[in-house]
Amino acid sequence: MKLSTYNFLTSMAIKGVKVGYPLKLRITKKDLVESEFNPTFIERLLPKLDWSAVHAAAQQAELADDIPAEQPENIAENELLMQKLHHLLFEIDVLEGEMECPETGRVFPITDGIPNMLLNEDEV
Amino acid sequence: METPHTEHLSADDWEHVYEPAEDSFLLLDALEADLDFIEKLQPCLCLEIGSGSGVLITALAKRLSHNTLCLATDINPRACIATKRTALHNGARVDSMRNNLASAIRKRCIDLLLFNPPYVVTSDEELESQRLTGETPSTERNLVYSWAGGMDGRRVTDILLEQLDDILSPSGVLYLLLLRENKPDEIIKQLQKLNFKAVKHMERRIPGEHLYILKVTRTSF
Repeated sequence: MKLSTYNFLTSMAIKGVKVGYPLKLRITKKDLVESEFNPTFIERLLPKLDWSAVHAAAQQAELADDIPAEQPENIAENELLMQKLHHLLFEIDVLEGEMECPETGRVFPITDGIPNMLLNEDEV
Repeated sequence: METPHTEHLSADDWEHVYEPAEDSFLLLDALEADLDFIEKLQPCLCLEIGSGSGVLITALAKRLSHNTLCLATDINPRACIATKRTALHNGARVDSMRNNLASAIRKRCIDLLLFNPPYVVTSDEELESQRLTGETPSTERNLVYSWAGGMDGRRVTDILLEQLDDILSPSGVLYLLLLRENKPDEIIKQLQKLNFKAVKHMERRIPGEHLYILKVTRTSF
């Protein structure tokens, strides 16, 4: 699971959960994959991203120094930050770990890079 | 669009995961025919629900390359693994996850949605009995999920359509595969009530089946 994908995940489907993100991410095994830097795409993606989840991902991926806690203005003009965002979002592949619902504590495991977001019938 | 390679999947995989067939290829052709529209749309986020072997989302991910983020969901864990392997094998960037429809994706984010639903008309009892056979997914259960559609073959499709407003982004588009028995005209009317415009984008007769691709967008867009 790439950290770009993590940004779009929510536990909102759980009964009673109001927002459901950012999920609390814990990474136990990750891989680095090279990916072509495409600043135009990142610029288009930015308005869809939840910055608190970008920041949370950076902390878990040991890249906390790269990503500011508050979303800076005019990111697209800051090429260094764009490259760091690219690296964080598309080049880190979470192989093992888990994500926790911020409201209920329900844990979603990540196994072999595949998050299991399936809920039991009594949870929805 | 290239048809992705699937030789990495074995006979054992095909016992658990839906093997690409006429319906899959029709969806592939429908995307190919609409590439001008898709390129103008510039979808940031693409999602295939029920990705199975992953051929469709892989083909799209390859075609749009690094200009999009492609996600795939399936409730069948074997399908999630197959999708991931198909993407890797074909050099495409797709993230696969186990999920019921799109329930784990933040609201109104998806710019391009693909769904080849379980569309075969079955009794609801058949669908129900498969759901109640416990936690361990059997081979048979995994595959039944991929095709058994309950009454009118619409059980799962109808649930998805009710959630569509929460899934699609303001400019989002859905490509949905249907069978004549699913009553596509009725679905088009149902979608109008939900403020969506649906058109028959493509159709194909194959022995024993008449397949349609509905292209669905928001009326207000």
